[in-house]
Amino acid sequence: MGKVVRYALVVLGALVMLFPFAWAVITSVTPDGAVLATPPDLTPDDPTLDAYGRLLEAMPFWRIVLNSAWIGAASTILQLVTGAMAAYAFARLPFPGRGVLFAVYLTTLMVPMQVLVVPLFIEMRMFNLVDTYFALLAPSIASAFGVFLLRQAVAQVPKEFDEAAVLDGAGHLRIFVSVILPLIRPALATFAIFGFMASWNSYLWPLIIIRSPEFRTIPLGLAELHGQFTTEWNVVMAGSVVSVVPILILYVFAQRHVIASVAQSGLK
Amino acid sequence: MTAVKTKAGPKAGATAGPKAQGRRRLRYAGTVALFLLPSAIPLTLFTLVPMAASLWTSLHEWNLIQPMTWVGLGNYAELLGDAETRAAFWHTLYFIAGYLPLVYAGGLGLAVLLNRAMKGRDLFRAIYFLPVITSWVVVALMWKWLLNPATGLVNQALSLIGVAGPGWWTDPVWAMPSVILASAWKDLGFVMIILLAGLQAIPKEYHEAARVDGAGGLRRFRYVTLPLLSPSTFFVIVISLINGFQVFDQVHVMTGGGPAGATQVVVEQIYDLTFRYGRAGMASALSWLLFAVVLIVTVVQVRAQRRWVNYG
Amino acid sequence: MTRTAKAAAAALVVGLLASACSQGSATRSAESTPGGKVTLRYLTFSAAPDHVKDLDKIVTAFEAENKNIDVVVETAPYDEYFTKLQTSIAGGTAPDTFELNYENFVTYAAAGSLLDLGTVAGDADPSVYAAESLAAFKHDGKQYALPASFSTVVLFYNKELFKKAGVPEPTADWTWKDEQAAAERLTDRKAKVYGDYQPVQFFEFYKTLKQAGGEFLSADGKKSAFNGPAGIKAAKWLVGKVGKVMPTEAEIGGTADYDTNLFKSGKLAMWHNGIWQFAGLKDVPFEWDVVVEPGDATKASAVFHNAVAASAGTKHGKEAFAWARFLSSSGTAATTRIESSWELPPVADRSVLAGYLKAPKPANRQAVFDSLTSIALPPVIKRQQEMQDTVTEELANAAAGRKTVEEALTAAAAAVDKLLG
Repeated sequence: MGKVVRYALVVLGALVMLFPFAWAVITSVTPDGAVLATPPDLTPDDPTLDAYGRLLEAMPFWRIVLNSAWIGAASTILQLVTGAMAAYAFARLPFPGRGVLFAVYLTTLMVPMQVLVVPLFIEMRMFNLVDTYFALLAPSIASAFGVFLLRQAVAQVPKEFDEAAVLDGAGHLRIFVSVILPLIRPALATFAIFGFMASWNSYLWPLIIIRSPEFRTIPLGLAELHGQFTTEWNVVMAGSVVSVVPILILYVFAQRHVIASVAQSGLK
Repeated sequence: MTAVKTKAGPKAGATAGPKAQGRRRLRYAGTVALFLLPSAIPLTLFTLVPMAASLWTSLHEWNLIQPMTWVGLGNYAELLGDAETRAAFWHTLYFIAGYLPLVYAGGLGLAVLLNRAMKGRDLFRAIYFLPVITSWVVVALMWKWLLNPATGLVNQALSLIGVAGPGWWTDPVWAMPSVILASAWKDLGFVMIILLAGLQAIPKEYHEAARVDGAGGLRRFRYVTLPLLSPSTFFVIVISLINGFQVFDQVHVMTGGGPAGATQVVVEQIYDLTFRYGRAGMASALSWLLFAVVLIVTVVQVRAQRRWVNYG
Repeated sequence: MTRTAKAAAAALVVGLLASACSQGSATRSAESTPGGKVTLRYLTFSAAPDHVKDLDKIVTAFEAENKNIDVVVETAPYDEYFTKLQTSIAGGTAPDTFELNYENFVTYAAAGSLLDLGTVAGDADPSVYAAESLAAFKHDGKQYALPASFSTVVLFYNKELFKKAGVPEPTADWTWKDEQAAAERLTDRKAKVYGDYQPVQFFEFYKTLKQAGGEFLSADGKKSAFNGPAGIKAAKWLVGKVGKVMPTEAEIGGTADYDTNLFKSGKLAMWHNGIWQFAGLKDVPFEWDVVVEPGDATKASAVFHNAVAASAGTKHGKEAFAWARFLSSSGTAATTRIESSWELPPVADRSVLAGYLKAPKPANRQAVFDSLTSIALPPVIKRQQEMQDTVTEELANAAAGRKTVEEALTAAAAAVDKLLG
């Protein structure tokens, strides 16, 4: 494939990918009357930031963003720590029943959340944890998805690396921390993005477990903009645009500083 | 965190007696527990326990607002003979059959393209990742408009080349392809980023060695890249299948299962049964049927991986 | 990495402990505080997003009158409102008071989730409520909820399109025939102007059925009764508009708020919709008005009711009743609702509603009250949602030409009978 063809392909695809986001931005600056006109107006006559103003007025949006941000960060760190440790055990520490246990981990991904929220709610009620930050976090302290992703990464690390460390007298914890973790940084960064995203976008569980407005997260805030009969789409779009930005920053950061650096140094 | 140090290397205890061996074993078990408990405890409490509860629920009739009544395997019996359940499973399989090849081929192509040095590569990666992080509500609105049978951009473009575009969302025949298209488009970046991480973990030396041996681009891809990428590929396929069986968000916001039930997938059915129709017991039973199917599919894959997945 | 990991772990532990201890205000002040103050929870779907401040006003006024009660409002979007309500009932943490619409009321009353307000009402005077509104929330002879607001569906029309087409504006005496004739003359395919828009779904169907002189359920409520001549006439009336004077399903293509935008952009002459749209039409650049919907054999207008109920398990029945009564019948609540065009208070004293008539647009607000003289309440069964979904789906099949009207109604009737059985 020629370089030009390849470049053209990438650019064309990028335009297709960029389109909805651009559309969301355009809609968010479209004045009320012209929102969702058919056919849509891609160049609104008098763009306005009104919708962003109304977003801030309708709810304590920064408070909501802050909630989402710290819950996202906490659950991401928790999942990284618990996930990487389990991944190490499943890839490097043989013990009887390991395969079965790993299968049990995987099964936790196989029952849809829609059917688990009610029992989970009742459980939280028994622990007297309804309407707390802890309850919001609880289902995302550990993620089998993360364990699986990171196990694949640990398994890909050639065993010679640990064997060298073992010869130096290192124990498992040290091998894990100083040999494995640095080598699986791309996978850790990748999972950090997904872990954060899952928390950032999660809707059904927060909807059910949270009562107090001060605990609201972004998806709950955005859902409140949908009324029973009418929806202010430009405000919804403004909220969506704002909610994408932090993950995008996280992604670019992870991409630049973790994934890319490893690639350039050729893993060594 | 470094307080507990274990030495379970081959040297220690190689010449020790049975007592030391027992102590070593105990210490090893402690190490394993140390690594596993942080994830095992929360998973047990917050996933396995609710799972067990839903298994119990599945043996009852329950509308959430009244006490449950025991029906034994009645829910399962009703589901197995129910045409709507069968249809929901078929729709789900249809979705997977369309979605998985599209998203894997597309994601792999993207990952390979964007793994090479090129101008603005980081920017392109970020752009391809944008749909992954944009909420389904926004994406659904946008796709509905793009695929609007009368005024949508897609059908207008088709009419330029003399093709009468289909009814997309509004036509039971085309509704599922529309959902598949939108889903694959949204998830391309997800597959790309996982495969990129996998590609970058392949030591450059391997490629160089193959190049020295005179292997061309395609051969290197076939005999170096693909085998070394196989753990990531395995992950993508297992996860995409598990997620595919549980497809919900996009259907819920785009079609709500319609038109004429053409996109009513299993989890949409579960949601409707639980929260709209007051049949939480039935919904639990359905989710355990789904569980059985996903489990079988996953076990088959895990068994089969030995034949094609290459761990370093 | 080690140091970072350690720091992260430490931060986590601290964070978790802190968060586990911090609870929301609703639970923190749990049942009642030392001062004998009672915290009353109220879950609502109709306040967000537009009327949160209006509800706050009512709450403040109530708390000023009842110093020992602290009302904590929780909101949920309508689409997931019942998901949230059901789960909290299942978990034994139902809010003390919550909003219910008429269609879902029976499900909760029959399940025993609601407090019989008669047991805590004391000598409160029921005559402040419009009698038929109050009666709508009785079940087995007991008052399980108090009507808090209602809205009706009327015919909106764009005066300028009527003028341009030289068609006389609709009046209260119009029948389907008049509407149809006007719609045909007003439709201008080339200019993409449509004459009429009436959604093809359950709520429009039960109403037009009544207009055609039919009944949805048999008198004893045990069987469907809509699969007859009146039902076929009503369904044909709805389905017949599609593609002729109204855009087809394919043209709408699932676009959100399609009809609202069509009317707002001045390309829709007549629009069957609810009075909740008034506020959103304030600033459109053309003249518009409303009129009571045309009838056929008889007139019938749809009325949507929302009510306040108390949870059967509440520990504060008396306080819950006081709040429900204040929210549904107090002067503050009534005027707040009227001033903000937030549906209407179902009060018996029509003079309270006078302010509603004075608001500028639309001119013929009287039509809202005229529509109340012959109302059609939706049929209600225990498996309500399934019934609504089935009827809507079959009507959609007929509208898209996948089935004939007769086939669709036969299928819908069979499904509804099964739900009743």
